[in-house]
Amino acid sequence: MKKIIHILTLLVAFCSWSQNKQILYNFTAVPQSLMTNPGADFKYKWYAGVPLLSGVSANVGSSGFSTYDLFANDGVDFNTKLRNVVMKTNRNDKLAINQQMEIFNGGFRIPGADRDASNAYVSFGMYQEFDMMSYMPKDLAILAIDGNSNYLGKIFDLGDLSMKAELLSVWHIGVHKNISKNFIVGVRGKIYSSIYNANSTKNSGYIYTGPSNIGVYDQSIYSNMQLNTSGLAKYDDENNESDVVKDITKGALLGGNLGLGFDAGFTYYPLQNIQITGSILDVGFINHTKDVESYTLKGRYNYRGIVPSFSSGASAENIYKEFQEAIPLDTINSKYTTWRPIKLNSSFQYSFDEDSEDDCNCKGNGSEAVYKSAVGAQLFVMSTPRMPMFAFTTYFSRKILKGLQAKATYTLDTYSSKNIGLGLSTTSGPINFYLMADNLLEYKDLTKANSLSFQLGFNVIVK
Amino acid sequence: MKRSLITFVYSCISIVFLFTSCASDVDFDQVNTLKLEPVFIANLAYFEVPAPDFVDNGQEQSLVFDVPAVDVFSDKFFRDNLKKASIFTEMENTINRAYEVELLFLDKDNTTVYSANLNVPAYSGTVNKVNRTDDFENVQLDLLKRTTKIAFILRMSPGQPLTETSSGKLILRSGVTAYLVVE
Repeated sequence: MKKIIHILTLLVAFCSWSQNKQILYNFTAVPQSLMTNPGADFKYKWYAGVPLLSGVSANVGSSGFSTYDLFANDGVDFNTKLRNVVMKTNRNDKLAINQQMEIFNGGFRIPGADRDASNAYVSFGMYQEFDMMSYMPKDLAILAIDGNSNYLGKIFDLGDLSMKAELLSVWHIGVHKNISKNFIVGVRGKIYSSIYNANSTKNSGYIYTGPSNIGVYDQSIYSNMQLNTSGLAKYDDENNESDVVKDITKGALLGGNLGLGFDAGFTYYPLQNIQITGSILDVGFINHTKDVESYTLKGRYNYRGIVPSFSSGASAENIYKEFQEAIPLDTINSKYTTWRPIKLNSSFQYSFDEDSEDDCNCKGNGSEAVYKSAVGAQLFVMSTPRMPMFAFTTYFSRKILKGLQAKATYTLDTYSSKNIGLGLSTTSGPINFYLMADNLLEYKDLTKANSLSFQLGFNVIVK
Repeated sequence: MKRSLITFVYSCISIVFLFTSCASDVDFDQVNTLKLEPVFIANLAYFEVPAPDFVDNGQEQSLVFDVPAVDVFSDKFFRDNLKKASIFTEMENTINRAYEVELLFLDKDNTTVYSANLNVPAYSGTVNKVNRTDDFENVQLDLLKRTTKIAFILRMSPGQPLTETSSGKLILRSGVTAYLVVE
């Protein structure tokens, strides 16, 4: 149990991420923006990410508390801080990790296509993703810290435990086409290969202790809990000799549990300087059939204590065994399906400050006028095991110099109401480098940040 | 001009991303001082015996007993982390006879590791309740942890004879408060 708490607290400390990439979205100076909208408006002849370095991204965020709240070196007893954190959070506070690394990524214009009229592009690549999300298991944490003695009459909700974690690789290929001069659509197919998966998101049940007219307490437990895992069970076997690195490599090369999905998106210009975009990402599932092991705790038990045989009604002895039989810990090996978290992005942009240079590939529409500056708003929605997550962003983007593009964002989300982000993309010859980070105000003290994110990478772009 | 502007911009970036990122003093080793001290309350035992159950074929049974098995201490986690326990026991009598109730906590060799006696007077119009609370720590607790069964012994004191239609019942309620320390 202590080990579990150690792992959980360390996870909380280091890893709390959401999947919003508000700076990258529609920042078309960077090819990776195509990953957030397959219908993004950009016009390269071809591009290729520098292998392993083209796209590294991660975000940290925890609604409810920060690293500082738990680990401040302030002389206050750690257990007091842990208790304070548990008490100030609620069951909908969440911790999430999302990290992605592109292994390779590239795209090209289909030869023969007219550059300005009916452009069609193909993009492809593979990336590795680690995704984890856990809600605050508040009632279970209270039980572990305080026990039930001060909570007579309280129903401890076992449904508070809701988490999922996955390591996977994603292989993708997409097409992108200008349907008309002012309307671009794109779609991308994905094959997921899940290397490790653990999820426990559909739990329910309760633990109740209340006053009683019969015994000292009225005590009952109803449990409907399940943890599904794939790719992990083999490490539980003492005779297992598998190599983690080999297992991950094999899993990444489509040797894991496979799934299918798609992304779709569009860019539309109702007016030359007005742009509307939208995308839906990761509409897909993974079928877990290999190395599957699930654990269940299902049953109901009304606990009366030891009841000798001369008592009226049923007697009870060996109550620990009776409890284990009523709510057994079972291991099952049946396949299961998980759904990828669906992400929705949309934006509205107004461009201004017409640019006389004609090599800006990132604003405007084809050979028509291009603009140096733009303001806009974005909305991000992501599905979670409970309520969807929302983030609203306003932004200003500006071509500062030839080859230097910037985007500044202000985002309101679950984690923060003062999230300011900045992204820069610099291109020198064919080499493109980009760096983005948000929650810049939190950089004055990282340990107090509720969320942080960054993306960076190198590309080769030929226009 | 351009060069100086570029220098300026890159300086700004450096400032934003490098120099302004500070961190308060944090100590992750604090997790090693984790100490959970939950206190759990739970039922320990219960029985209810109606007055007619003390009569069998017209004959009074003045001694009733049972020795059910107890396996709560077979759980290593509970045994290792239980640092203090408090047992509350209450008798309630609405039968017009007095009773002596003896609880003997026995280990696997049938040695008594703890015993509790409660004497409850005969019912005479108002419900009779008696209770006791015993705390266990250190040596007493170590003895308690050896419990593998509990003998419940009921002795009915002499008095007005009971019949199969006599009213009232004898009830025992017992609960435990378990103080755990998990380090």
